[in-house]
Amino acid sequence: MAAVTIDSLLQNPTLLFRPKAKVMLKPPRSLDCSRNRKLPLSRGSCFCSFNPRRTIHVVRASSSETALIGNFDTSSSDDIFYKDIFPVKRIEKVEGKFFIRLDRSKDQHDWQLTVGCSLPGKWILHWGVSYLGDSGSEWDQPPKGMRPPGSIPIKDYAIETPLKKLSEGDIFHEVEIDFNPSSEIAAIHFVLKDEETGAWYQHRGMDFKVPLVDYLEDDGNTVGAKRGFGVWSGALQQFSNVLLKSEASHADSQNNSIESKDSKNKNRCLEGFYEEQSIVKEVSVGNLVSVAVRKSPETGKVIVCLETDIPGDVVVHWGVCRDDAKIWEIPAAPYPPETTVFKNKALRTLLQPKATGNRSGALFTLDEEHFGFLFVLKLDDNTWLKFKENDFYVPLLGTSSVPGQYGQSDITTEEISSKSYTDGIINEIRNLVSGLSSEKSQKTKTKEVQESILQEIEQLAAEAYSIFRSSITTVPEEVVSETETTKPAVKISSGTGTGFEILCQGFNWESHKSGRWYMELKEKASEISSLGFTVIWLPPPTESVSPEGYMPKDLYNLNSRYGTIAELKELVKSLHEVGIKVLGDVVLNHRCAHFKNQNGVWNIFGGRLNWDDRAVVADDPHFQGRGNKSSGDNFHAAPNIDHSQEFVRKDLKEWLGWLREEIGYDGWRLDFVRGFWGGYVKDYLEASEPYFAVGEYWDSLSYTYGEMDHNQDSHRQRIVDWINATNGTAGAFDVTTKGILHSALERCEYWRLSDKKGKPPGVVGWWPSRAVTFIENHDTGSTQGHWRFPGGKEMQGYAYILTHPGTPAVFYDHIFSHHRSEIANLISVRNRNGIHCRSLVKIVKAERDVYAAIIDEKVAMKIGPGYYEPPSGSQGWSLALEGRDYKVWETS
Amino acid sequence: MEVSVIRSSSQAKISKTELGCRDLRFCFGKSNDKNKIFSRKPNSVCFESQISRFRKAGLRFTLKAVHSDPVLESKSPATFKSLDRLRLFVGLPLDAVSDGNSVNHARAIGAGLKALKLLGVEGVELPVWWGVVENEMGKYDWSGYLAVAEMVQKAGLKLHVSLCFHASSQPRIPLPKWVTKIGESQSSIFFADRSGQHYQQCLSLAVDNLAVLDGKTPIQVYQGFCESFKTTFSPFMGSTITGISMGLGPDGELRYPSHHKPAKSGTITGGGEFQCYDTNMLNLLKQYAEANGNPLWGLGGPHDAPTYDQAPNSNSFFKDHGGSWESPYGDFFLSWYSSELVSHGNRLLSLASSIFGDTEVNVYGKVPLMHSWYKTRAHPSELTAGFYNTASRNGYEAVAEMFARNSCKIILPGMDLSDEHQPHDALSSPESLLAQIRTTCNKHRVEVAGQNLAPGAPGGIEQIKKNMLGENKIDLFTYQRMGAHFFSPEHFPSFTEFVRSLSQPELHPDDLPSDEAEATESVQTSSDPNIHLQTA
Repeated sequence: MAAVTIDSLLQNPTLLFRPKAKVMLKPPRSLDCSRNRKLPLSRGSCFCSFNPRRTIHVVRASSSETALIGNFDTSSSDDIFYKDIFPVKRIEKVEGKFFIRLDRSKDQHDWQLTVGCSLPGKWILHWGVSYLGDSGSEWDQPPKGMRPPGSIPIKDYAIETPLKKLSEGDIFHEVEIDFNPSSEIAAIHFVLKDEETGAWYQHRGMDFKVPLVDYLEDDGNTVGAKRGFGVWSGALQQFSNVLLKSEASHADSQNNSIESKDSKNKNRCLEGFYEEQSIVKEVSVGNLVSVAVRKSPETGKVIVCLETDIPGDVVVHWGVCRDDAKIWEIPAAPYPPETTVFKNKALRTLLQPKATGNRSGALFTLDEEHFGFLFVLKLDDNTWLKFKENDFYVPLLGTSSVPGQYGQSDITTEEISSKSYTDGIINEIRNLVSGLSSEKSQKTKTKEVQESILQEIEQLAAEAYSIFRSSITTVPEEVVSETETTKPAVKISSGTGTGFEILCQGFNWESHKSGRWYMELKEKASEISSLGFTVIWLPPPTESVSPEGYMPKDLYNLNSRYGTIAELKELVKSLHEVGIKVLGDVVLNHRCAHFKNQNGVWNIFGGRLNWDDRAVVADDPHFQGRGNKSSGDNFHAAPNIDHSQEFVRKDLKEWLGWLREEIGYDGWRLDFVRGFWGGYVKDYLEASEPYFAVGEYWDSLSYTYGEMDHNQDSHRQRIVDWINATNGTAGAFDVTTKGILHSALERCEYWRLSDKKGKPPGVVGWWPSRAVTFIENHDTGSTQGHWRFPGGKEMQGYAYILTHPGTPAVFYDHIFSHHRSEIANLISVRNRNGIHCRSLVKIVKAERDVYAAIIDEKVAMKIGPGYYEPPSGSQGWSLALEGRDYKVWETS
Repeated sequence: MEVSVIRSSSQAKISKTELGCRDLRFCFGKSNDKNKIFSRKPNSVCFESQISRFRKAGLRFTLKAVHSDPVLESKSPATFKSLDRLRLFVGLPLDAVSDGNSVNHARAIGAGLKALKLLGVEGVELPVWWGVVENEMGKYDWSGYLAVAEMVQKAGLKLHVSLCFHASSQPRIPLPKWVTKIGESQSSIFFADRSGQHYQQCLSLAVDNLAVLDGKTPIQVYQGFCESFKTTFSPFMGSTITGISMGLGPDGELRYPSHHKPAKSGTITGGGEFQCYDTNMLNLLKQYAEANGNPLWGLGGPHDAPTYDQAPNSNSFFKDHGGSWESPYGDFFLSWYSSELVSHGNRLLSLASSIFGDTEVNVYGKVPLMHSWYKTRAHPSELTAGFYNTASRNGYEAVAEMFARNSCKIILPGMDLSDEHQPHDALSSPESLLAQIRTTCNKHRVEVAGQNLAPGAPGGIEQIKKNMLGENKIDLFTYQRMGAHFFSPEHFPSFTEFVRSLSQPELHPDDLPSDEAEATESVQTSSDPNIHLQTA
């Protein structure tokens, strides 16, 4: 009787708490019952022999069944040729109370918050506190002294404490929290959780909040006071299953708040209160339906006795069938009392209460020839009880039928259906429409089908979303350059910094090798500053599977091949001392797992952010994530993080905040941002408020027959789209410009450096303030050389990016090389003339062998072997710099 | 246990799936398919009648027959069945096809169509713009729209086409360039307000029958457009295309552009202005006044009407008590103003029904929900928009009657608006107005289809459900509109939920009114009652 014991707790719903027990209206699918049969004796043996492939519960009737059957007023049990007990489960809404009490503890010194609940269940109080002066809605863990015994910390912001019955006879499960009112605690927040069902009980979708200080101070308005009890919409929003009925007691709650508002004018003058709310829990209640069939020796008729302990009115919706196709038919009269014909298809009989106990039942007298008796039960509120989504079935052909034949036919059907079941599995993916084989596969299949279709719908919607999103945010180029260029470049924003930034990439692919890069770089801090750099990009600081740092594992472990966390802090400090802002290289797209899941796939994380596979995107089969589909491209070497998960974002924001605070980073270089939607980046940047941020959106340019297309608009559009998705909170590396410089310089096709509108052809031509121009980095150059800048032409590249708008970035290897002084000179020309990320560029020549431009009317430049001289006129250009195939002039 | 396995052959088919596919369109094998025992009409088949039909027809499914299903089924893509009775459409982006007749974000639309199909949505609505198609007078380029229609057809969805003879400002879809050009020299083809400002998003209804467009009247031009549409899309008519909305004015709606700028939702706006000041309108007014023996009344519109953003009671025309609207002059003017609108509607709808009348396509026209100031006696917003509907006069009678005359159906937008979310001071009541129009339509037996103004209106989805599933059911609803917001994580889940809740009745089929079962009986007659699916 497995089913019965599982439900033993609420086996009899009339027990304690059902003042207004109602059966919830639920789709019939949730009302299932498993069937423990006591088989007709004549067929038992052959039945067991042929079902190796299916699990069938053949359970002996226990004493309770016998007791129930015993209640049948059968004259002699010998006549009974069929007996069966069907355990049925109903979902019942059980109402109870739950209270919150704030009062002084016994010693009159401390205060005590008591939360109790009258419903049975494994109740857990999930709670935390907020401190005075806390801004935002985060919880903190309460101080140790406040935690009742048995509490378990959940992450670093909550505690879970089980509710206990104080003594056996108590109705309430309670938990008491003692606290000292003079502490810094501003409020206690909690939600109630039922471990049994996994349900969360909240206060109108939010957590409960017990303010311990005057809230007027905080909110300064009556709204705040009105909301005083239970305000906050935080991370718990995702908990569904909110069944708390707070409406009834809403008025009380308001009164209470108003009272406390008055009292709280005396700030911190706590006043005790007691509040009750009703709480509703969905419990599945087990009941039994027992059926016995006997043959009346006098009339030769078959009598079906149906009895149940389900409370309330129970209507049996029934019929008979002639064969195993189980087509419902209406038998001939007589029918039991209270029977009506329903749409000529079935009969409806209201079960009559029995004299003894809480049972009801009916007797159905049927002609012998019927093959089976079919029924379903209809309870109050239109709830239907079925047997595994199907009708209950009682065979009526007892010993009088031919047992051998009957068994035989069973065997065939059984086998066939098993076969179709396995076939079903094979065809599962292709075959999406339900309803094929056995009822079992039918059921599972229907579910799977629905899930897979739902999933498909979601994926399609996500795809549509990403395209629509990017296309609506496309910035018309004119608008951008106009607004950008006319805007005075004074405001600091995370997309641009001051607008006058010059960035230094402070490492290369080999930097991890010494193991003390931070210290080595520290020695160069003042030198880098003196060259004119304002921002430095440091290597990824986290523990990583690969030594270079781009395969992060434990995000909070900042001891890496580049040095220890202490050394990192020291480096950041000395960089700050020389006036350089520091960018942390943060890898948000993917993260290496600590553990394998049950399938041996690495997708379970450890460390402080111990995420499970819900944090991994679902569409990379290598990592079997349970998250949503990725919002970007996948990086296939490690589990890609699902940024659509609220908890992931929350944790990442927390981490970025921690990096800002703990290390002193001023901003971010965001790795592989192609992997997730820019909108999430916006979220992160708004949360971590960096001084400067730049994302690496690197994909391929367009080529036709191996030759790069002149028009790279689609390439830069993708980068601009991403910047747009971040709402301009981040800049992006101008990969387009680098690519075009490659072709222009390598092949002597300087005409490529002007687009068809006469503007720079890279991102810098469309959205200069968000373009971080560069010619080389640790991936493209260094010892990897994935896409190396044409050798010997680096200075032409720098002459271009260091004179043009955008925020130029210079690679470490170039700074500390023979290019150093030339680069320094270019930077000083840039700074001297106040060229910034939004400077205006006028292209004056873009021909086969020469490109020339005038920037802000102050600087003229040319690259390429061809001839160019700025116009001699009132402006008075004078040559400022000259190098191999490049020249720079400034106005004197 | 063993016995129930047998039963699964017939009964299991009928189990209800979670997503509410209450009408079962499973195929029971080839032979069955051929015989089409199931109607393809979405509102015909339901649970109970299925069983009874099986019983009556004496269908017997043996296991082998059932077993052969998987192979067959794999060919037809799974879909959740279309919603029962209610046909839900989703609007495609306004700029699905724009300048140069290219399909914008075709991939997104493709994915979106698939998603909608799987959800069980019946079809999509496609705005077809005059300004996109007829770039040169009399030369039509339908290529972009044909491509969309093909996509829709391929996705197995229905198409409701909205013919838009107006312009859109967001996204910007102008009138045909040649029309704009004519307008530059001849601004009287546009509506004008009292200060002489022109509304250039659609033509004034006063020029309907004037040969202002290079020797042709706008009606002739619209006719050419509709006829070309009909010819071009004839392969889709009645099969994929099931409905056509005729553009009747600003935003396609039957109204005057009484507000030149679209009102922001949630803000209180004035009652709008009368748009009778272009020369042609003034001419009509003059003629009407002279014919009515009051030539002096024909010299202009009401002098005491407030301007766009002024509160209606700031001047005397709309005053609740003793306002000029109740005076004989007021009645004179409003009768004329509203009848011009109805005549305009009649011209366009009779044109549409004469062109599309011989197809199986339903013709619709959109009537706006001018709900602000509904709680005043004068209903200024409706009056300026051309609906002579006040506390003492039902102005929608004439409108409904005109629709009935042309056998057209009415689309009512704003089914997502609820009174409680309107600014209190606006004295607005979308719900009462909606009820009034629907009652009037019922009276004239004009079918009403629904539409929402914009996704994301507070409480919008609940309101839509209320409007659709209430006593007074609506059988077609167009949900506006596909785009980034529509598919965003903020919106799409609630839409999914909405669709599912529509299709998933809370009652057991047994408890549904039995008339439904009867309604399906007629369908059965087309099927052979003696089909036996014996072991193949």
